[in-house]
Amino acid sequence: MKMNPKNHSQLSRRYFLRGLGAVAAGLTFSPGKGWSSEEKRLNFYNWDTYIGETTLDDFRTATGIEVSMDLFADNDELFSKLKEGNPGYDVIVPSNDFVERMIRANMLVKLDHSKIPNFNNLDKAFQDAAFDPKRAYSMPYMWGTVGIGYRKSKVSKVPDSWASLFASSEYSGRIALLNSPSETIPIAMKYLGHSINTADSEVVQTVEDLMIKQKKHIKVFAEDNGQDLLLSGEVDLTMEYNGDIIQVQEEDDDIAYIVPKEGTLLWEDCLCIPKGAPHSENAHAFMNYLLDGDAGALIADFIQYATPNAAAKAKLSDEYRNNPAIFPTDEVLGRSESSKYRGEAMQRLFDEAWTRISAA
Amino acid sequence: MDYWRKSNKVFLSFGIPPTIWLFAFFLGPLFLVWGLSFGEKQGIIRVAITGTLENYLRALQPLYLQIFLKSFWYAGLTTFFCLVISFPVALAITFVSDRWKPILLLLIILPFWTNLLIRTYALIAVLRTNGYLNDLLELIWQSADSGLRILGLGDWNLLGERFHRFELLYNNFAVVYGLVYVHLPFMVLPLYAALDRMDRSYIEVSLDLGASQWRTFLSVIVPLALPGIISGVIITFIPALGTYLTPDLLGGTDSQMIANVIERQFKSANDWPFGAALSFLLMYLTFFALSVRALLTNHDEKGLA
Amino acid sequence: MSFRSNNPIGPLDYSRRTWMKLILLGTFVFLYAPIITLIAFSFNDSRRNIVWRGFTFKYYEKAWNNSSLVEAFANSLTIALFSTLISVVLGTMTAILLWRFRFPGKAGYEGLMSLPIVIPEICLGVAMMAFFSRIGWPSGLHWPLNLGAITIAHISFSFPFVTVVVRARLASFNRELEEAAKDLGAGEWQAFKDILIPHIRPGLIAAALLAFTLSLDDFVITFFTSGPDTITLPIKIYSMIRFSVTPEVNAASAVLIAITLIMTSFALWFQGRNGNQP
Repeated sequence: MKMNPKNHSQLSRRYFLRGLGAVAAGLTFSPGKGWSSEEKRLNFYNWDTYIGETTLDDFRTATGIEVSMDLFADNDELFSKLKEGNPGYDVIVPSNDFVERMIRANMLVKLDHSKIPNFNNLDKAFQDAAFDPKRAYSMPYMWGTVGIGYRKSKVSKVPDSWASLFASSEYSGRIALLNSPSETIPIAMKYLGHSINTADSEVVQTVEDLMIKQKKHIKVFAEDNGQDLLLSGEVDLTMEYNGDIIQVQEEDDDIAYIVPKEGTLLWEDCLCIPKGAPHSENAHAFMNYLLDGDAGALIADFIQYATPNAAAKAKLSDEYRNNPAIFPTDEVLGRSESSKYRGEAMQRLFDEAWTRISAA
Repeated sequence: MDYWRKSNKVFLSFGIPPTIWLFAFFLGPLFLVWGLSFGEKQGIIRVAITGTLENYLRALQPLYLQIFLKSFWYAGLTTFFCLVISFPVALAITFVSDRWKPILLLLIILPFWTNLLIRTYALIAVLRTNGYLNDLLELIWQSADSGLRILGLGDWNLLGERFHRFELLYNNFAVVYGLVYVHLPFMVLPLYAALDRMDRSYIEVSLDLGASQWRTFLSVIVPLALPGIISGVIITFIPALGTYLTPDLLGGTDSQMIANVIERQFKSANDWPFGAALSFLLMYLTFFALSVRALLTNHDEKGLA
Repeated sequence: MSFRSNNPIGPLDYSRRTWMKLILLGTFVFLYAPIITLIAFSFNDSRRNIVWRGFTFKYYEKAWNNSSLVEAFANSLTIALFSTLISVVLGTMTAILLWRFRFPGKAGYEGLMSLPIVIPEICLGVAMMAFFSRIGWPSGLHWPLNLGAITIAHISFSFPFVTVVVRARLASFNRELEEAAKDLGAGEWQAFKDILIPHIRPGLIAAALLAFTLSLDDFVITFFTSGPDTITLPIKIYSMIRFSVTPEVNAASAVLIAITLIMTSFALWFQGRNGNQP
């Protein structure tokens, strides 16, 4: 049963539906032992536009739990915000390396897998993770790559190597890189033939030298708005997340996305419960709901990111499943890595290198 | 000026509420961060306050001092341009009829009620290479060029063969432009507050005595506006020093300001002690600049009296 | 400077001089070029504010039906309103205190009062977050109490700005007037209410505008002091940066501008009709 979000203002209808939802929940779900003892609320801390259009309403209809969603803009913000204690969030959506960092900092609640039966919907590859063995603390939500978004009519050939960005003067003044040491430096390492997770200060130094040398050809270190720069013609090549480029491709056929042959950084956004969450039962129910095949399909169809949910993927169109910008080929995947938590000393090294690069 | 004991009831009733507020809801929180600046990171979250000066020593490295210097320079440029633009604007507002005054004031502040990010994006749309300013300039160029053609000078390509669009964004010009744009009302409002309904007889006397408009401006209006200028400079210069969004979105690869470095310490670098030390160093430097200013003006006032 | 105009311009009619008009015009073009652009883009039939794709009203409808946007908008205005009121009161008190009295440790007190202007936003944001989490500020309160922490933080960084602006105005106050009123039997409060406040009114208006603007536009400090269910407009907008800000936000901004202009024109018309101009 679907609810139109436009009916928000009609309170009576809303309450009626909520009551109906509670009944429906009683029918469709075998009541979990504890969840009815919690108040029917959930505080979800998420990225903007990162959920299906009706998912929260559908969930309320199904379980009677009212979800209020707050928004953060990046992982650093999320981490800083929770560092001094959880102000009351129940479910958060950090990316892989931050999951690991938060596990180490003892900021996450261990999940009760018995309350998340939809875990079995996940693709086998996502049922375990290097950054979170046996998925003890996190459920995968969406994943993707970082690659090069480019304007087809303005490049001599497909920029299938990171060299176009890091070591070439061909596109001088038409390049944007991400203004983020924890993405750009590991990718430069990858270009130089090292692992993304290299923890070697000399490699960081080499990357620094490389970037200072290349700086005169780079137009801007973009704040994750490279897709806009590409669309407006300010730059012709940009390092960006795949999802961002897919969104501007809808506006402009001349824009394409490629994962360079050296391989790239894989990212995975996960659902986690922070310590001190006031509604941890509801949080488990909510995670389970998001991993449901139908619910997951609605979300992935709306936001156009790669879902780790095999049951959901099976329900989606061929166009989605075969889009190389969403799902890279196995060959590309084989050469790519997801970043692990680097440790605080490396973090500092990265930051100092970035300060020097920007000051040079 | 009264000595406080002369009317201590008034003094206390004016003094106590803001003081309590300041201590409870500002200095209290600030003290926590000040403590952090003498701390050492232990693990991912924990910071032990050990009294170390390492963070300050690190902040005094040439790398960071150079960024400090650059930030002061850009904030200074911003303040200068704001003052030059704002003074005539504030003066004009004080001289219009009472009916127009609130309209003009509101028109000055209204753009700032739309979100900074949205405004900055709109500014990008105006300034970018394919933006409206360049469109306008191209139009002007084309009409000038066709004008020349009509005059039979077309073959000489006096204006160049074709119009070259200006790269106005992603450089330090754009940063200063953006900073001036963002901070303009911070200068206009205090200037207006100081100048409004000033005693016009001074100006009349000066003009009657044969002083030129310019002379009158310098020797009568500017001194009258001085408290406003000082206030305006303070609340423009200091916030401009602390802005990081404008250099982030409009700057090029070399537009890093100290506020960007500070922001990174509290976010991606996860190094709060160092971020706190940089912040407090910035505050100490600003205070130093302010006290130099205070000494100079005190000196002036004595000289005038 | 044109002195050859047909209508004689008085020596103090600065606002009627051509060069003054040109400067004003130039400043308004500088200020409004981006604003007009953003309003234009609110009618753009595209999900992002980059390329013109045709005219539509749909983003106004979408903004209106986007309950989280409307909620964020309402929260922001509520916070700004309360913050402005309290900041103006506290800031004016401080300004009068510093202007009127000599007291031991005044220079230091002045320095402390200007700290909130001097401190980098993010540092204050982190400080506020640490503070509220340590004193155990309750979360999950009902509206508008849930906005309490944010409002308190906004007042803390706004009221010193008010102080600075009001002080600039106080400098031109002629204390003999107040003394004369007191000699004629006016009490402290009456002299304050009838003489001082009217004189500093331009300063109060300017300061209130500034405080309102500071609060409405603050992102960093708000972000760090917000808890669950306290989304404000800047937080909503900044979180959109990952995917691009949609024209709904432009529509909401355009509506705010339109409402302000309409309300002001109405107030002016009303004032003019009653003929009680100051």
